[in-house]
This record gives sequence, C-alpha cells and structure tokens, in this order.
Amino acid sequence: MAAVNFNIVKNVYNRLPSIQVSKDKVIDNVAYIGKKWSSPHQRAILGLTAIVMQPYIDWKNKNVDEKTRKVSVARTCAKIIAGTLTGVALRAGFIKGIAAMSKTAAEIPANAKPFTKKIKQCLTPKNLDPANKDALEQYRNAMGTILSLAAMVFTNFLIDAPLTKFLTNKFIGLQKKGEDK
Amino acid sequence: MLSPSKMWNGFKSYIYKNYGENPGSMLVHTGVIGWILSAAAQIYAVAFNDKISKEQKVFLIPQEIGDAVVNIASFYTLTSGIKYIGSKLAKTAKLRTSAITDILKKDGHILEKGQKRVDGKVYAGDWNFNITNLDNYGTDIASKFKPFKNGVEVIAGLTGSILSSNLVTPLVRNQYAAKKQKEVLANIDKNKTTDESSKLKYPSDISMNAYMKLASVKFSSGSLKI
Repeated sequence: MAAVNFNIVKNVYNRLPSIQVSKDKVIDNVAYIGKKWSSPHQRAILGLTAIVMQPYIDWKNKNVDEKTRKVSVARTCAKIIAGTLTGVALRAGFIKGIAAMSKTAAEIPANAKPFTKKIKQCLTPKNLDPANKDALEQYRNAMGTILSLAAMVFTNFLIDAPLTKFLTNKFIGLQKKGEDK
Repeated sequence: MLSPSKMWNGFKSYIYKNYGENPGSMLVHTGVIGWILSAAAQIYAVAFNDKISKEQKVFLIPQEIGDAVVNIASFYTLTSGIKYIGSKLAKTAKLRTSAITDILKKDGHILEKGQKRVDGKVYAGDWNFNITNLDNYGTDIASKFKPFKNGVEVIAGLTGSILSSNLVTPLVRNQYAAKKQKEVLANIDKNKTTDESSKLKYPSDISMNAYMKLASVKFSSGSLKI
C-alpha cells in the first residue's frame, strides 16, 4: 500500500512542470544567500518576522482571558527583542572570531611570528582544501554558530533572562499607562 | 584512547566535511541544537528556582518538557521537510537556472513539449533524476549548480524555520498552554469541594494570579532558539 502511494507521489511529481529561473539578478541573489547568509541572518529574519506574527497570535488566543493575553503579548515582545539582539550579536561575533583563528597558510603574512601563526590557525581544519574558499567560509559559519550556542547557555542567564524580565515589566507598564489614559 | 587534541581535530574535520558544502543542513541542525539547549535551560531554570515551590515544580517541569517536545518536533519536522523539498527540486532539476537547462538540453535530458516519453528513461525534473550523478557533473555542471542549490536550501530552511518558529509552534503552544491552564483552574475548583484526604494531582496553592505571574516572569532562553 505504501509503495503504491509513493508511486502516486512520484508520478504526480514527474507530471509537474519544471521551473526555470532565467533572470540573472534572481540567480545571483539566490547564490549570494547560499554563500553569505548564515545563522546571524537567520536569527535576525526570524526575530523580525516573529515580532510581526507572534504578538498577534498571542493577542488572538481566545482560549485565555484578556489579562493573561496582555501579559503574554508583553512577554512575547520582550522575549523576541532580547533573544534577537543577543542571538544575532553572539552568533556574528563568534563567526568573526572563528574566522580570525581559522586562516589558511596563504592568509598569514610570511613574516608572522610562530605564536601568531599558531593562534591564527588553531581552528583551521586539518582536512582543509585551500582551493575551496566557500567550504572554509561555511565551516567558519558552522563552527561559530555551534560555539556561540555553547556560550549562549550562559549568556541566557546573564543577559537574556534579566533583559526579558526588564522589558516585560516595561511593556506591562506601558499597557497600564495606555489603559489609565 | 583518543587524546583531547585528536578529538578536537576530529571535531573540526567533521564540521568541515559535513557543513563545508551544506549551509542549509547546518542551519537546520544548529537550530535543533539551539532548541534543545534552550529547553534544557528552561527546565533547569524552573528546577533550580527557589521561588517556585516543590509542588509547583511537579506541575511545571513536565509542562516544560511537553512544551520542549512540541517545539523541537515541530521545528525539525517542518524545517527539515521544507529544506528537503528545496533540495529535491534542485537535485532533480525541477527547479533550475537557464544555464543548467542549456547543458541538460544539449545532453538530451530534457523532455521537450510534444515529445514522447521514452519508456524507462529518466528525464530532468523526474523524481529519480539526480543531476549530481551525471557524467559531466564535475566538469560542466557543479560550478553552476552548487551555488544555486545552496541558495535554494538556505531559503527553504529559512522558510521552514519562520513557519515553524513563528506560526506553527506558537499556535500549538498556545493550545497546549490553554489546556494546561484550564486543567489547573479545574483542579483549583475541585480542591475547594473535595475532602482533605483526596490526592491532588496539581498543587492546591497555585492561584490564577500566581499562575499568570509565573508565566510572565518565567525564564526565557530566546537567543538560543532559532
């Protein structure tokens, strides 16, 4: 039965018309996104779309009373702002830091001291293909993102939590001010 | 036994080999790690918070775990699912650039309008077609295909993460939280009417105001999440 269903999926897929992208600008933009965009961009885009969508979803949640919804909207906004700011900054910072410590031999000046060389190559992978610059860039993005996640376990308590609490209280205060007017 | 230095070098090589040419996969996998760490931090924050009573923890910790399971499952399913679709469209050349069409046409891989399908032949755009298996992939196609495929995968992964993080997860979470809130309120009412000897599933000292306050000040691990 499953095999029959899968054959139907295949047949439908085969009959769908192919899509050809012809505009050079679109092709270049797609390639640029694949090459340059990484987790900081992803986090920033998610933050922007979240601030548009999530408070609205919370406000329209008729399963809870109005008072709860107001607190929920305030907390969601605070959470998104705090999470996006620290998330983007840490990811971008770590990727930059990793890039500085994962240089290829050609990227280091010949007259650099042995210690400097060692530091600048301490995160360079051993199986590096020096000719494949894109792969090295993606490696830096991946390593920076993974190490930033480890750091965020701590900054979440040190920065996110107090910032979210502070912003939530600010937004609740603004809501109250609006109600009193 | 592996030394820490060898393990570290192995880790770097693993990252390079697996994500060096797969930025879309990296975003999905690190996204899942982020969600797992954020859930762990959230549970830790409740478990080690002195201001939350033991009885309340019995209720809140399973709720956090349930919340985490919903979040992680919806993020992974949607994001990797949409990324897979993007990747499949590119690899089967269902979605392709004009430069790739020209190469495929030249080699007879395109089924032209009005042309009859040859039995058993796999054409560009078919489910079983894989552009990376063609003989001239390395020489003629890869340089045009890889940047496009990576871009499509990143865009598809981003779309999936926007849908899961900003639409599906909040909707599912709200339904789940509302159900839990109703259960708490029902238990509070029940506690008022049942005799003292009955066993309570939820803490009797959690009021609606306390519950709302808990929800509003509860720790948020926002930056870890994608």
